Amino acid sequence: MTNKYYEFFCPVKVIAGKAALEHIPYELTGMAAKRPMIVTDKGVRAAGLLEPVIAACEESGLEITSIYDDVPPDSSTTVVRDIAGIYRQEKCDSIIAVGGGSAIDTGKAVNILVSEGGDDIAKYSGAGVLKHPLKPFFVVPTTAGTGSEVTSVAVITDEAKGVKLPFTSSFLLPNAAIIDPRMTLTLPPHITAATAMDAMTHATEAFTCMAKNPLSDAYATSAIKKISHSLLHVMDNPKDSDGRLELAQASTMAGIAFSNSMVGLVHALGHATGAICHLPHGLCMSLYLPYVLEYNLETIREPLGELLLYLEGPEVFAATPAGRRAEASISAIRKLRDALYKRCQLPRTLKETGKVTEDQLDHIAEMALDDGSIMFNPKEVTLEDARAVLRRAWA
Amino acid sequence: MLAKRIQPMVFQARRLYVELMFQVMGRALQAVSEVDEKVQNEARALPDGFLFEMMVMPDGSKLIVEHTGQGRFRYHGDKAPRPVDLSIQFKHIAHAFLVLSFQEKTSVAFANDRMLVDGDISYAVRMTRVLNRLESFILPKLIAERAVKEYPADLHLPEKLISAARIYLKVATNFVETVRA
Ligand SMILES: [Fe+2]
Repeated sequence: MTNKYYEFFCPVKVIAGKAALEHIPYELTGMAAKRPMIVTDKGVRAAGLLEPVIAACEESGLEITSIYDDVPPDSSTTVVRDIAGIYRQEKCDSIIAVGGGSAIDTGKAVNILVSEGGDDIAKYSGAGVLKHPLKPFFVVPTTAGTGSEVTSVAVITDEAKGVKLPFTSSFLLPNAAIIDPRMTLTLPPHITAATAMDAMTHATEAFTCMAKNPLSDAYATSAIKKISHSLLHVMDNPKDSDGRLELAQASTMAGIAFSNSMVGLVHALGHATGAICHLPHGLCMSLYLPYVLEYNLETIREPLGELLLYLEGPEVFAATPAGRRAEASISAIRKLRDALYKRCQLPRTLKETGKVTEDQLDHIAEMALDDGSIMFNPKEVTLEDARAVLRRAWA
Repeated sequence: MLAKRIQPMVFQARRLYVELMFQVMGRALQAVSEVDEKVQNEARALPDGFLFEMMVMPDGSKLIVEHTGQGRFRYHGDKAPRPVDLSIQFKHIAHAFLVLSFQEKTSVAFANDRMLVDGDISYAVRMTRVLNRLESFILPKLIAERAVKEYPADLHLPEKLISAARIYLKVATNFVETVRA
């Protein structure tokens, strides 16, 4: 018998497809929630994405009690405290986060404060601190990438101390994720591309890193298939709501996969690059993915080869000899990146970003080595290895 | 039934083995940090006085080491002089046994949710690398390959320093062979 063992957990109700937003009032009522608060950002409001959410609720006689629309891109402990204050003042009883990673993380953190009490969110930082379920919490993602609607993690910056506080608990998972194609229809091309590549990376790393397991594998491969099928089509037909829905579902599925089997070196390097060079997360993922797969190649030859079926379809898979499939998978990802570069100049190398200098590479390598994701990379990464990957990703 | 009568013995043996291995690792951590540059470089990033604990939940065996500065570790047995900064906790003695008898790699155990980290993840990542390095020192190459993700190509440590640990280990391994279930 092998030592194989795994855990898989995803209690989030997924509400997806046409007119999905209109299910929010019913779901809230089902949890005895009558006074929801919306947590979102200015961009979401400006894009007119709040209207359909509000309209869907009001039509059913459910008033949105309060709207906070000033979540910054990097949410902080102060913001969380302020929102919790408003929530209490307005006597809200549930939260609907509408937005990308930051709005969702903020919603999770606010939910801790309003459920557990107090004003100091830092007190709840770490793993396993929460012991009770929180208030009803719904998430409406407006990007198709982060997968935050199905992860049990939130990261909030403590500005005073200059550190990022992680929060991990299965109680942070929302009660429901509402995937409605209307919410991603207006996403600009470069964000569509970068966030989809984030999802692609979640699925690829989930499938090739150490904590892979049969359940997360199923989600990962389906996500990769959907992204490979739909991404370029959506880039060329941004208003195609079927394609948008495919990408949004793929993002949620990739989120379910990686929250149960973790990510690896692509994310370790990406987190470090984001912190040092202030590049968007999805962009970093797209950039590093093929270089890291090449670095891991001999350790992940078999699973990476399997992915060719989902990246390129059965004809290419069947026509490629088994021994060449892993390399062919990397080529497929490179081909996709080239196509995205042609359509929206999504950078493929650090040099192409124009925001990274060569003398920053050592700093990025050192920081990546301290990132939690590196623990689950299938190959043990030394400082030299990380530097070598970065040099290859340079130009 | 025979199995029922044997079980308590297996439990007892496991507990003894885990306790023994924690002692071996604690002493070896201190010894290796005195001579190995790689371990020192990893450890130097930890604050001085940093206390690291490995333990079995809910209240089982413990291993406590302190980073005393310049990349050196001091083994404190199973008593911490003050609250620890980083704790790696096995969910069950059976999981600790799997890892400490080198049937499951430390990194795999993390991936398999066998243990929890309480404290800063970046320190946990560092300590995992230190433990990997340590395992490749105190174990014969064949077993070490099973215990760590990759066997380092550059192990230059006086045999004398590690032979003591290896003797411990030999006793321990024999012991495992008999109780392995
Ligand atoms: Fe990501």
